[in-house]
Amino acid sequence: MPVATAPTAPPPAAAWAQLNRLAFGPRAGEAELMHRQGLAAWLDQQLKPDEAADGESRKRLAAATLRIRYPAGDQYPAVDETRPLGTLAAPIEQVWPLADGKRPIAGAERQRPRQEVMAATLIRAVYSRWQLREVLVDFWHNHFNVNAAGDQSVAAALPSFDRDAIRPHALGNFRQLLGAVAKSPAMLVYLNNRSSRAGNANENYARELFELHGLGRAAYFNDLYSRWRDVPGAADGHAAGYIDGDVYEAARAFTGWSIEDGAGLGGELRLPMTGRFVYVEAWHDNYQKRVLASEFDPFQPAMADGERVLDLVAFHPATARHVATKLCQRLVADAPPPGLVQAAADRFIKLRDRPDQIAQTVRLIATSPDIARGAGAKVKRPLELVASFMRASGIDFQPTLGLLGELDGSGQRLFGWGPPTGHPDTADYWTSTSAMRRRWSLVLGTAENWWSTGVFDPTHAVGGGEVAAASVLGYWLPLLTGTHEGAEDLAAAMGVEPMTVLATDQARRLVALAALSPRFQRR
Amino acid sequence: MRVSRRHLLQSAVAGAVGALPGVRNLAFAETGQGRDLVVVIFLRGGCDALNMMAPANDRSYIDARPPELRVLDAGDRQGHRLDSNLVPGLDFRLHSEAAPLYELYRAGHLAIVVATGLSNATRSHFVAQDLIERGIVDEQKRPERDTGWLARYLAEAKAPASVPAVSANPGVSAGLLGDAAALAVPDMQGGLGIPGGEPVRQALARLYGSGEDVVARAGRQALQNIAAVDVALPRGPDGKVAAYQPDNGAAYDGGGEFMRSLQSVARLAKAELGLAVAAVDCNGWDHHEGEPGRFNNLAGVFARNLAAFYNDMAKRNERMTIVVMSEFGRRLRANRSQGTDHGHGGHMLVLGGHVMGGRLYGTWPGLSTPELDRGVDLAVTTDYRAVLAELVLRRLGVKDTATILPGFTPLAPFGLFRT
Repeated sequence: MPVATAPTAPPPAAAWAQLNRLAFGPRAGEAELMHRQGLAAWLDQQLKPDEAADGESRKRLAAATLRIRYPAGDQYPAVDETRPLGTLAAPIEQVWPLADGKRPIAGAERQRPRQEVMAATLIRAVYSRWQLREVLVDFWHNHFNVNAAGDQSVAAALPSFDRDAIRPHALGNFRQLLGAVAKSPAMLVYLNNRSSRAGNANENYARELFELHGLGRAAYFNDLYSRWRDVPGAADGHAAGYIDGDVYEAARAFTGWSIEDGAGLGGELRLPMTGRFVYVEAWHDNYQKRVLASEFDPFQPAMADGERVLDLVAFHPATARHVATKLCQRLVADAPPPGLVQAAADRFIKLRDRPDQIAQTVRLIATSPDIARGAGAKVKRPLELVASFMRASGIDFQPTLGLLGELDGSGQRLFGWGPPTGHPDTADYWTSTSAMRRRWSLVLGTAENWWSTGVFDPTHAVGGGEVAAASVLGYWLPLLTGTHEGAEDLAAAMGVEPMTVLATDQARRLVALAALSPRFQRR
Repeated sequence: MRVSRRHLLQSAVAGAVGALPGVRNLAFAETGQGRDLVVVIFLRGGCDALNMMAPANDRSYIDARPPELRVLDAGDRQGHRLDSNLVPGLDFRLHSEAAPLYELYRAGHLAIVVATGLSNATRSHFVAQDLIERGIVDEQKRPERDTGWLARYLAEAKAPASVPAVSANPGVSAGLLGDAAALAVPDMQGGLGIPGGEPVRQALARLYGSGEDVVARAGRQALQNIAAVDVALPRGPDGKVAAYQPDNGAAYDGGGEFMRSLQSVARLAKAELGLAVAAVDCNGWDHHEGEPGRFNNLAGVFARNLAAFYNDMAKRNERMTIVVMSEFGRRLRANRSQGTDHGHGGHMLVLGGHVMGGRLYGTWPGLSTPELDRGVDLAVTTDYRAVLAELVLRRLGVKDTATILPGFTPLAPFGLFRT
C-alpha cells in the first residue's frame, strides 16, 4: 500500500514571488531559506557574486558535452561525437577561424559556439548559485542583442561576447558595459561598425546605440532631423534627445573601430585574422563633430571621438529612464509603475560613476513593494519556463541539441534573434497560439525526458514506488505553483481520484500537468 | 458539401472545447462574402526600394551608387524593363532577380505604387513598423491606438469565421494587435496538434477552462484555434497531417521561413475556415553592408516564393489582394560598406486577379538632390494609407475608413482595382 504523506506547507508567498523574479524560480526549500535570511541579506550575497563559491555550476559546465554530427564534405570528414563545451573559455583568436568562409568547415562546426553558449546559459540558469546575475546576464543579452544564428562571424565571437563583454559588467557599471559591448567583435560585426569608414560611414551601430542601447525611442526627435538647435536643452549643451543628425555624426565618431578580420589596409598590408578589436586610424573620420549638442574638436586622439559619444549616451537622463523602464519591465511588470521607474532612473543617474551602479539600481527595484504586489503578472519566457521547471523538479539536468532545437522553435532563439531589439518582454508575444503550443511542448518534454535532458522521478520525494495522487500533489504543487490550490482540478484533469495509486509514469504526468497549468507559466 | 463540412467542423470543435466559456460563434462563413482575402507581406528591415525597382537611366541614381547596388539597364544583370509612362524618358526597371514578378506585371496582375511611405519621416525601423502596422503616422498617438489596422478592419467587417486571421509568423503581427483570436503560426508542415495528444488536450481544456489571467485566456484561445485548424487539415492513411501539396504546379523556393509562412496561409485559405486576413513577414532587408549579394539573393527568394504563392492560389486570385510593404526605403547614396543606410520613401506592390496591374502608380519625385527628402532619400509622395484606404473601400466592402485608418482622409482613388 502506498503511504499517504502529509502535504508540505506552501512556501512563504513574498519570498516565493521574489525568487520567481530575481532568480529562475525557487528550488525546494529556497523560499523558506530566503524568508528566514531576509531579502536584504540574500541581495547582499547575490549582488557581489563570488565566482569560487559557484562550485555546482562550474562543475557541471566542465562536465557538460553536446553531440555534434555532420556528413563528410568535400574537404572534411564526417563527424559524429560528443564534445565538451570547448569554445567557452577559448580566446577569440582560437575560435575566429570558424568565421573564415574560405576554409572548408562544416556548418555544424560554425554554429557550434552558439550552441555551446546556449547550453552554458541553461546550465547556469538551473545551477548557478548567483541566480540574480544570471537573470541580469539574460537581460543584457536581450538589451544588447546579437544574432549568432544569422552570421558565422557573430557565432565565432559569441563566447567572447558572453564572457568578456556581458558577464563581467552585468551587475557593474553601465558605462563600462556599454564600452565593452561597443568594442566587442560580435557587436562590431552584427551592427556593421567593423566596416564603417570615413567618407560615407555606416550608420547601423550609431542608430541602435541611441535607439536601443541608450536613450530609447521616446527620446528620438525625428521631426527635427538636423535642426539640433531646436532640440530642448541644446542651447545649454544638454540636448533632451537625439535626431538623425546625431546619428550621422556619431557614426563618423565610430569610424575606424573595427576587428582584425584580415581586411586590406592598402598595398600589401592586411589586418591579421584574430577577431580581436582594433582601431584603424586611417579609416577614422577626423573632422569636427557635434553630438547631442556637444562640440567635438577635429583631430582628437585615437578613439576619443567614440569614447565621448559613449559617455554622452551612458550618462544621459533619457538612457537612465530607458534602462530603468526595461529593468522594471523584466523584474516587475509589463507596464511597470511609473514611480518605481523614476526612482530606479534617479538612482541609476546618481551612481553613474560607481562600479556597482547596476547592482544598486537592481537592489532598489528588488526591494520595492511592487515586486511582490505583481506576483504572477509576468509570463515566463521559454528559458525561464525550462529553467524554473528544472530547478523545482530537481532533475539531474543535461542540455542536449534536442532541447536547444525546441527552445529555438519556442520563439526564444537565444543569441539567434534577428532584429537588434532583442526578444519582446511583454506577454502578448509569448502567448500566441503557436507560442502556447510550444510552451506546453517544452514543459511536457522536459518532464518526460523527450530530449534526454534527465529523468524525472517525482515519487522519490514522497517515499518512492507507488504513491497516491494526493501525496504527489501535496508535495509538488506548492513547489511548482506556491500553493495547494487546484489539486482537485489536476487530479480530475488526469482522470484520477485523490487516493488513486499512481505508477511512476502516471505520477510524472500528473506533476507535468501541474507545470502545464497557467499558474506555473507565470511568475 | 459546404454544409456538411461546416457541420463536421462545428461538432468536432464542440467536442474538443465545447465546455469552455468564451468560445466564439463558430458559424461558418462563405469565403469573404464578396470580400477579398487580404495578404499583407511586410519586408522587415527597410527594403532598398531603389534596388528593387528604379529608373535605371537616371543620372543622379547612377552617380550615387556603384553598379552592384543599382537596377541596371544593360549587361548580364540588367533589370526587367517595365512598360510604363510614369515619367517620359525614365527607364523604370525591376531587379534582375525579380523575373517572376515581372511576369505577373506583364500579365496585368501586379501594380507598383512608387514613392510610398510614412509622411512622418522616422528612420527608426521599430517606430516605422509600429506606426504602419497600427495604421497611423503620429508616434504621440500610438498608446491610444494600440491596435493594428488589420484587427480594426476585422472588427469592422464582423465576418463570422472560425479562423478569420492568421499571422504566419512566430508572434502575432502588430497589424493584428487587439484581435485576441488571431492565430499565429509560422509553419504548419507537421500540422497543429497538441503535444502529448488527446489526453493532454483534455487535461489542458480543464486546466485552462476557467482562469481569467493572461495565460489562461491565451491557452483557451490556443486550444480553440488549434482544434479548428487541426480538424481541417488533410491527413494521410496513418492519421498524420499530410505534407502540403501546392496546386497548379506552384514552385516554391525550396526552404526558408518566408516559403513556409506562405504555404501556411495557402493551406489555411484552402481549408475553408473563413480566412479573411493574413500577415506574413519576409525578414532580412536591413542591408548596411554587403548588400549586393544579400539583396540579390533575398530579392530572388522573395519574388520566386511570392509568385509561387500566387500561382498556388490561382483559383482564389479573383478574391485575394496581396499588399507588399516595408517600413521605409534606404538612402539613395551608398555607404562605404557596400550597403545603404536607413532612408525614407519606398514602393508598395499590389497583386491580385482584379488588380489593374502592369502599371506604375503614384508620383515620381525625382532623385536629384533638391528633389530628395532632406537631400538624401527618395521623397514620399503617397502616404502608405492611400493604398490601404483604396483597398479597404474598393475591395473589402467597408464604407468609411475612419476607424481603420484614423486621421486619414482618402483622396481620389488611383484606380488600382477593377470594380
